[in-house]
Amino acid sequence: MYVDAQPLIQISSLDIHRGNRLVISDVDLELSEGEVVALVGPNGCGKTTLIESSAGMHAISSGKISWRYGDSEMKIIRDSEGRRNSLPPMGLTLQKNGMSGEETVEERINTALVVSGCDVNEIQVSNLLNYWGLDHRNSDRVSQLSGGLARRLAVLSGLAPAVMSQNPRTVLLDEPSEGLDESGIILLVNWLRALASKGHGVMLATHDPRIILAADRVIRFDENNNLSEELQVQSLSNYELPIPTNEVKISKILSLFNWAYKMEKRNPVDTIGRFIPSVLALLMIHTLISEDEISVAGADFLAAMILLPSFISVVIPPALISRYAEENCGQWWAAVIGPKFRPVSSIIGSSIILPLPLIYVSWLVLSDNVVFAEEAGIFTWLWLPGLVMFSVAIAASALHLLVSDLRRTGASVVSLLMLILVWPFIELVDALVMIMNDGMSFGFSLDEPLSMIFLSFTVSILVWAISVYLPDA
Amino acid sequence: MRNSGWAMTCVGGAGVLLTAVMSYTYAPLVQSPPFRSPEAYRILFWHVPFAWTSFLAFCLLFVGAIVWFLQRKEWGWNLFSTGSDLGLLFGLGVVISGPIWGSAEWGVPWDWGDLRLNTFGLLTAVALFIVLSRRSQPDGMDTRDTLSTIGLFGFALVPITAIATTVYQKRHPSVVIAQSDETGLDPKMLQVLIIGICSFWILMIGLSILTFLSYKLEYKLKNLLMSIDDEVVH
Repeated sequence: MYVDAQPLIQISSLDIHRGNRLVISDVDLELSEGEVVALVGPNGCGKTTLIESSAGMHAISSGKISWRYGDSEMKIIRDSEGRRNSLPPMGLTLQKNGMSGEETVEERINTALVVSGCDVNEIQVSNLLNYWGLDHRNSDRVSQLSGGLARRLAVLSGLAPAVMSQNPRTVLLDEPSEGLDESGIILLVNWLRALASKGHGVMLATHDPRIILAADRVIRFDENNNLSEELQVQSLSNYELPIPTNEVKISKILSLFNWAYKMEKRNPVDTIGRFIPSVLALLMIHTLISEDEISVAGADFLAAMILLPSFISVVIPPALISRYAEENCGQWWAAVIGPKFRPVSSIIGSSIILPLPLIYVSWLVLSDNVVFAEEAGIFTWLWLPGLVMFSVAIAASALHLLVSDLRRTGASVVSLLMLILVWPFIELVDALVMIMNDGMSFGFSLDEPLSMIFLSFTVSILVWAISVYLPDA
Repeated sequence: MRNSGWAMTCVGGAGVLLTAVMSYTYAPLVQSPPFRSPEAYRILFWHVPFAWTSFLAFCLLFVGAIVWFLQRKEWGWNLFSTGSDLGLLFGLGVVISGPIWGSAEWGVPWDWGDLRLNTFGLLTAVALFIVLSRRSQPDGMDTRDTLSTIGLFGFALVPITAIATTVYQKRHPSVVIAQSDETGLDPKMLQVLIIGICSFWILMIGLSILTFLSYKLEYKLKNLLMSIDDEVVH
C-alpha cells in the first residue's frame, strides 16, 4: 500500500436507479492514492453503473460522490440534490470504447491527454503508442482498427492521463480486459501495478481473474447487491512507465470544439447534410414559382421563401449526435466536460456557418425583378434575421440532443418537437416583411421589426435553455 | 373509484352527443354577413369545449411532469401519462374541428400567422410526441426524466398561448366562454355552449379517472413481472 495515502474519490450512501430498478443501494466506497480497487460480481449487479456514476455520468437518487482536486479538499461532483461539478483531470475507459471511428489513433491519445492537462509532444504520444503496439497505426482512423487494437487504444487513453502526470490521479476502467489478447492483459496488469506504485488510484470493473489478482482491494457484489471487501497484499512495482510530463491549464471546451471541428473537416457530414436539402428547397422554389407569382403573392410569401432554406438547414439533426452515439463517444465527452457538456454541444453541433449566407443567396435568387420601396435597406439588414436564425439553430440542436437521451433514439418522432421552432421562424418572417415594406426601424412596438426579432430570439433561447438545463437539473 | 369513472364517462359522453343534437335543433342560425358560412359555425359547440377541455388535460400533463421532475413520485408519472393521452385526444379534437370551420369561414384551413392556432398545434404535437415515445421507449427513470422535460415545454407554451390570444390576435375569433358586450352571444347559443363545456369536462374527468387507474394497474403488473424475472434469473 502507498504510505500516507489521501482519498481520491469518496462515495457516500449512494442509491442509483437504472430503469425501474434500484441498481446501487446505499453504497459507501473510497478510492485512495496508490491503490487498485477491483469491482467484481455477476452481470447486471451494478459494477458499470458504479464506475460511470463515479465519473458523474448518472443522476443520483440519494447520496453523494466527491473527488479530490489537486491538493485541495474533496469537492462534490454530483449529489442527489442536483449539485454538479466537472471532474478534475482523470483517465476513463468505458465498457464501449468511447471513441468516434472518425478520429485517428494519435488524435485519440492526444485528446485524452489534452483534456487532462498534460503537455505532450508528438514523440511522447508516439512513445506511449509504442508501448501498446499501436505506433505503426498512429495516423489510421479508429474505424480502421481491429476490435482488439481499438480496445488497446481505449484502455491506453484511459491510463495515459495518469501515466503522463506527476501528481496522483484517478483512473476509472470498465471491463478493460474485454477484447484484449494475452499480451495486452499482461501489459495492463503491469501498468496497473506501476500506476499504483506511483500513487495513482485505479477503480475498475472486471471479471478477469488476472486483473482481480492485481488489485489491492476486491469489492464483491452479490446477487442482492450487497458488497463485501477483501484486501490483497501487493509488492511495489519496478515496471518502467513513460516519463511524466508537465501540466498545463486545461480548456476542455476548446478541446471538444477542436475535436468536433476535426471530425467535420475530415468527413463533412453535417455541412453537406444541411446544405443539400436547403439548396434543393431554394432551387425548387426558384424553378416552380415564377417571379410574377412571387410579385403577386407579396412580401409575406417572399420573406417566408427567403428564410425557408436557412430554416431547413438549422432543423436537420446534427452529425455531432451520430458521432456521440458511436461507441458511447458522447458519454466519454459528457464525463470529461461535466455539467457544461449539453449547452456546449448544442452550440457546437448547430449550423453556425450556413444560415446567413443562405439567406443572402435566397434573397439574390428570389428577389430579382421584385420591387420594394426599401430594397437597399433590405440587403443591409438581412444579417439581422440571419443572426437570430443562429439562435433557432442552437435551439434545434438542443432539442435533438435532448431526444438523443432516449434509449431508442431512432424510435422517437423528433420532427414533432421541431414544430416548436416554426413559431420563431414565423416571427422572423414577420420582421422581414416589415423591413421589406417600411424599412428598418428601431422601436419596440409590436408592428416594428425589432420587436419581432426580439420575440423570435427569446422563444428560441427559451426552448434552448429548457432543453439543455432541465434534463441535468 | 372505477365505477364513478365509468359513470362520469357515460354521462359526459351522452352530454357531448346531446350538445351535437342541440347545436342543430336548438341553437339559432347566425347571420350572413358577418359570417361567411353560417351553417358551419355550429362546429364551435364542439370546437370550443374541445379547446377548454384540452387545456385542462394539458394542465394535468404539466402538473404530472413537475411532480415527477421534482419528487420522482409514481403518481406524478401516472398523472403525466394520463394528461398526455387526454391532451392528445382533446387536442386532436381542436386541431381537426378548427380547420374544418376555418376552411368554411376563412377559406383556408390554417393560418400560420395566428399564434394561438400555432401554439395549440404545437401543444398537440408535443402531446403526440410524448404518447408515441412512451409507447416506443423502454420505461425507466432516464426515459421519464427526458419525457417530463419535454412536457415542460408545453408548460412554457400555455401562458405564452394565453398572452398570444390577447396581444397578438390575428384571424382567430376572440375567446368565447361567456356572454359579454364583445362576444354578444345569443342566450340559446350560450346555453348549448355551457352544456357542451360541462359535458366535455365531465367526460374528461371520467376518462382521467379510468386512465389513471389503468396506469396504476399497469405499474402493479410491471412490478409483478419484475419479481417473476428475479425468480427466474436467481
